[in-house]
Amino acid sequence: MNLLKVRNLCKTYGSGETAVRALKKVSFSVPKGEYVAIVGESGSGKSTLLNMIGALDIPTSGKVAIGGKDIFSMNDRELTIFRRRNIGFIFQAFHLVPELTVEQNIIFPVLLDYQKPDKKYLEELLTVLNLQERRNHLPSQLSGGQQQRVAIGRALITRPSLILADEPTGNLDTRNSSDVIALLKKASVQYEQTIIMITHSRSIAQTADRVLRVSDGVLTDLGRCRE
Amino acid sequence: MKSYLSLIPLSAKARKTQNRMTLLCIVFAVFLVTSVFSMADMGVRIERTRLMEKHGALTFQDMIGSTMAQTLFLTAAVLFLLVLTAGVFMISGTINTHVAQRTKFFGMMRCIGMSKEQIIRFVRLEALYWCKTAVPAGVILGIVLTWGLCAALRFLVGEEFSDIPLFGISITGIISGVAVGVITVLLAAGSPAKRAAKVSPVTAVSGNSETPQKPRHAVNTHSFRIETALGIHHAVSAKKNLVLLTGSFALSIILFLSFSVLIDFVGCLMPQSSSTADISISSSDGANSIDKELLDTMRGMEGIRRVFGRRSILDVPSAMEGINGSSITIDMISYDEFELKCLSKDDMLKKGSDVASVYGNSNYVLATWDQDSSLKIGDKIWIKSEELEIAGLLKYDPFSSDGLTNGKITLITSGDTFTRLTGITDYSLLMAQTTNDITDEEITAVSNIADENGTFSDKRGERTAGTYRAFVFCVYGFLSVITLVAVLNIINSISMSVSARMKQYGAMRAVGMDAHQVTKMIVAEALTYAATGCIAGCTMGLLISKWLYDILITAHFSYAVWNVPVASLLGILLFVLATVIVAVYAPSKRMRHMEITEIINEL
Repeated sequence: MNLLKVRNLCKTYGSGETAVRALKKVSFSVPKGEYVAIVGESGSGKSTLLNMIGALDIPTSGKVAIGGKDIFSMNDRELTIFRRRNIGFIFQAFHLVPELTVEQNIIFPVLLDYQKPDKKYLEELLTVLNLQERRNHLPSQLSGGQQQRVAIGRALITRPSLILADEPTGNLDTRNSSDVIALLKKASVQYEQTIIMITHSRSIAQTADRVLRVSDGVLTDLGRCRE
Repeated sequence: MKSYLSLIPLSAKARKTQNRMTLLCIVFAVFLVTSVFSMADMGVRIERTRLMEKHGALTFQDMIGSTMAQTLFLTAAVLFLLVLTAGVFMISGTINTHVAQRTKFFGMMRCIGMSKEQIIRFVRLEALYWCKTAVPAGVILGIVLTWGLCAALRFLVGEEFSDIPLFGISITGIISGVAVGVITVLLAAGSPAKRAAKVSPVTAVSGNSETPQKPRHAVNTHSFRIETALGIHHAVSAKKNLVLLTGSFALSIILFLSFSVLIDFVGCLMPQSSSTADISISSSDGANSIDKELLDTMRGMEGIRRVFGRRSILDVPSAMEGINGSSITIDMISYDEFELKCLSKDDMLKKGSDVASVYGNSNYVLATWDQDSSLKIGDKIWIKSEELEIAGLLKYDPFSSDGLTNGKITLITSGDTFTRLTGITDYSLLMAQTTNDITDEEITAVSNIADENGTFSDKRGERTAGTYRAFVFCVYGFLSVITLVAVLNIINSISMSVSARMKQYGAMRAVGMDAHQVTKMIVAEALTYAATGCIAGCTMGLLISKWLYDILITAHFSYAVWNVPVASLLGILLFVLATVIVAVYAPSKRMRHMEITEIINEL
């Protein structure tokens, strides 16, 4: 069963002679639990595609359906709540809230929903992410790798069906990069989550179930790597 | 370029829009002080003329000894200090904003070899460079305002201000204005200059230049919802900004409460009553000997707008509840319905008074009161076996020169009640309010009929309503300017705080914070500044208000008692809330329309 369906997605910035077509009729589907890597040169449209899937940006035309729901049929508030509950984001620059501790940063989406976090699941996440000792630290007191693990925890806390990661290892050294990828893969298997990750690293892309290439706004399915 | 300091005018030109706020603050500070001292100087000049006319010659001691000159300069000096403090707060806030927005620039300067001392010098001179245009602008505005006020006082108010110079230039005013401009700028630039010097060269190349300071404490998410907790934390964590904004709010409130006391003081010096008479006819023998028909005659005369009269009887034997067997004597004065209405209108009655029951032929009366008086609303007094109940109390005794009853009970009744109790129908005093265009002939006509009945007095020259209005106008004018600067400062600070956290807000939006929650976060931040400012301002303002009231009013008008100015406090609260709404509106609108992807994709 496909969790994500993207149909004829187009995004054009500007108009007239200065118009830039960032995405050109992109269509693909991703089944539940699949781990997909998106590769491509800088400026090819990878991040634009990821932002469209995550409903952070509105396409010029086309549809994106997550779990059978057309996300662009929702208004801004509904979309925000949908994003909060169903999509986990991991950014290259971590984007943690500097005033919140590790634990508060992880449960941030739950707090935004005015809910109480599942303590057992939180403990489990802190253990998996190896952050128990750092739970009361502020982001400024953590290393880059630790900060990215917090961001992963934040993306996993609501048990979203889809995790979108935009170059999550871009700011990390080799060792931290492999730790983060291992964690993401583990999560994908353990919690049956679909992961779509942008990467520039060939070796990281090779760990994915499937690789998609974006070049000049056109998407090509490079097939399944691990087969 | 002769030296690195040649960058200053270039930078000022390039950042014209951003500098506007700082320039405005300096202009306001200079303008206020120039006009305050110029007006004080003009007041002293009137006093000098008065003394010259009185003594023929004038010595320095005469001027120094003049109470008015002392009061004027003392008031100006206090205002100078207040404006100086307000100016330092405001200008420091805006210079801080400049420095925070340009950490990358200062980092770059440090990278290419500018020393810390040079940075400090750069920021100070840059601030002084603003004075080049702001100080003359402020001085000119101050002089023009002084001319305007002098003209208004001379032509609209007249009376004692009819000799005020029209286009006088006050050297004291100009020097004070220039001094306040330069001093505030130098004081205000001190802390931001040090902050700029602390910028590490690495910030120029690391891309972290505009990140707010690293937090030291985590947010308390237990007491409030996450967005509220974050908003409060944003306000509280930036200590310097919190102090500046709290100070800015607090100072405006303190100034408002202090100036309100000054207005009360002038109100006591020149009591304003809706029933103030322009002309009066009093009985020559002090008895009720003015024929009651005269009231109707006067009412029909040209130039007379309103006529009302009083009857009075002194030392009437009576008995009072609670004073067993012992008889007392009281004074009784009748007021026409118009004067009774004016008592309510002019807020002359104590709380709980019911003037409506006094009208017509009734058993209810009003009584004068002071702090030593034991009279209460509801007390009963018997006159000729008639029981009268006190339905209301005046705040003081308007029939004595010091406002005190000195133990004497004076009752105010309606005309009908007075006549029923005493049988007297004629008046002891007739008063009239005239139209503005009453002619001398018309006044003479009234005077002629008055001479047959009593003593005529023309009190039109004693009108103080204009002076009082001019004072209130000036005070609230100054307050409005200071308040406007504080509001602009707060709007600027909230906007700057939001700009500094744009990236963070973008990330929060991405992970699920909705636009409404972002607005709530900004509102919580603004409300924190407002609440701390309000608490600090009201606490200190009330203490200062009480102190000023005691030394200025109670010391001279012992009937006057300081009360918590509830209406003013409510007004302040509403004003603060309005400021928060205005300050939050633009940043939250900006956040609602922000492109999340643009913000988070920025380096």
